[in-house]
Amino acid sequence: MLTLLIAVLLVFLAFIGAPLFAIIGAIALMAFAAAQTDSSIAVVELYRITSQTVLIAVPLFAFAGYMLAESRTPQRLINLSRAMFGWMPGGLAIVVLISCAVFTAFTGASGITIVALGGLLYPVLLQEKYPERFSLGLVTTSGSLGLLFPPSLPLILYSMVASLTTAQAGGFEIVSVDQLFVAGILPGLLLVLMLSFYSIRRGAAGGVPRTPFSWSNLWVSLRAAAWEIPLPFIILGGIYGGFITATEAAAISAFYVFVVEVLIYRDLSLTHDLLRVMRESMLLVGAIILIIASALGLTNYLIIEEVPQKLFEFIQTYISSKVVFLILLNVFLLIVGMMMDIFSAIIVVIPLIVPVAKSFGVDPIHLGIIFLANLEIGYLTPPVGLNLFISSFRFEKPIARVVLAVLPFIGILLIALLVITYVPGLSLWLTRVFHVL
Amino acid sequence: MKLLLRLGRAVATVESALVVFLLGIMTLLGFTQVVLRNFFSSGILWADTFLRQLVLWVAFLGASLAVRERKHLNVDVLTRFMSERGKKLARLVTDVFAGVVCVVFLKASLTFVQNEIHQGTVLFLEIPTWYFQLIIPVGYALLSFRFLILNGVVDLQALTRKSTTESDPG
Repeated sequence: MLTLLIAVLLVFLAFIGAPLFAIIGAIALMAFAAAQTDSSIAVVELYRITSQTVLIAVPLFAFAGYMLAESRTPQRLINLSRAMFGWMPGGLAIVVLISCAVFTAFTGASGITIVALGGLLYPVLLQEKYPERFSLGLVTTSGSLGLLFPPSLPLILYSMVASLTTAQAGGFEIVSVDQLFVAGILPGLLLVLMLSFYSIRRGAAGGVPRTPFSWSNLWVSLRAAAWEIPLPFIILGGIYGGFITATEAAAISAFYVFVVEVLIYRDLSLTHDLLRVMRESMLLVGAIILIIASALGLTNYLIIEEVPQKLFEFIQTYISSKVVFLILLNVFLLIVGMMMDIFSAIIVVIPLIVPVAKSFGVDPIHLGIIFLANLEIGYLTPPVGLNLFISSFRFEKPIARVVLAVLPFIGILLIALLVITYVPGLSLWLTRVFHVL
Repeated sequence: MKLLLRLGRAVATVESALVVFLLGIMTLLGFTQVVLRNFFSSGILWADTFLRQLVLWVAFLGASLAVRERKHLNVDVLTRFMSERGKKLARLVTDVFAGVVCVVFLKASLTFVQNEIHQGTVLFLEIPTWYFQLIIPVGYALLSFRFLILNGVVDLQALTRKSTTESDPG
């Protein structure tokens, strides 16, 4: 009875905006007290976070992403993709999809994409006579596209939290971030392609005027972004070629982006902008790591109490097939993605899901891709998906209008999600081809 | 009251400076390490361990700064539909709650560091591990101070005052 009361109280506190790390921390502390274990064990678990080699990648990629977001990279990225794809039917819509996906992969946090890129692209879409509802749905949807592409921060976090979970359960298996970086590519492309086909159809049906292709335009925009274009090639080529690890890629990115944006383009001033960007990116890192730190105490307790094991047995009394389990997992994750931001969702849900899914025979790498694809859609799911609110705020449209606008896009994404869920090969095939460990 | 806010700002300045400094070191040392490893097949032996400790430092300082700007990750599905007054009340309640949790963690982390001092483990280059771990109690102390005292006072003021002008938590 008391436990139930406390649970209700904590859920209420969470829903009125209590920091998630405090909620998780409180649960951990109470669990330790109930088990009559000293609370300093929670801190011992917290400190284990420093045993993860991939930890360094978190602040360095966050720093690089913030620098890119605060410079004029978004504008150059849009110009370049317009020169490359703008001539196609529905070309501008494809420009939106591709530039947002690339941008989100490098910045990780999807709210930024709607504000930074959507804000630039939405007026242009209307100007080129795209229907208002389609345009609104497109920029809102694109805000979370690209999470599956390397080097997105959610992929790194998933690897870290999943590895820590298996380590706490006494396993040595590491959910490799290098493998995840490869596994996300095809599923990510599937999402972009399906949305592109829809946009081409809508573009052609709406009779949107097409801009002719121009070599001189392409040349100008290529030259403008000449210093930024090598970055994805250095990172992805380095990782897929086996020359560097994801952690090293983070160090290279941070240093390279600093040199390009601050010293070459001078989009960010060394004394003013850079200091602000450094500081702001570390606010996010602090918030993320603090939640992981609090969660480690809790997962330790959960594993000692064999909660994932019990959860699995409980689920198994009702469901025995992997197919049904995956459907339920998708529904559950959509709700989670609707209510939580992606970082919190990974940290809170992964420790419970990974062991259970493993018992059902779901590969942890495949699970990671399913997980992130779900959260990507969860951002858009009515009534409380976060991107709906960001979009409504940014474009000054009522929530109901935004919801109506995203519905067809959600439909397409759900079909893609089913494919990603039930065709594990889509995620795993490339990791075997590349022999990534 | 004014003095308190000024103290808060002073702490923030120190935290910001440290965060920038440490992130600078991380970027440079991380990149140097990549260059050494890939082009000279060598590397600084303790660099990776050191870098991971720095991440913890930056994280706690960043987390403390995040309290000031209300950037901590939360679920807040209910507040999206709340009135202004309701939001203010929610802020007070949640800040006090978070502050209390941080105080308990502060106590736990002090015990943790004391145990480590007793064990006398060394991380690298003869530097005791607890030097690095000190950031945990320091971090929770900063978090407690910001949530309970700075934000708590600002929230209370916002709630009692009629005016809608937002005041800046120190």
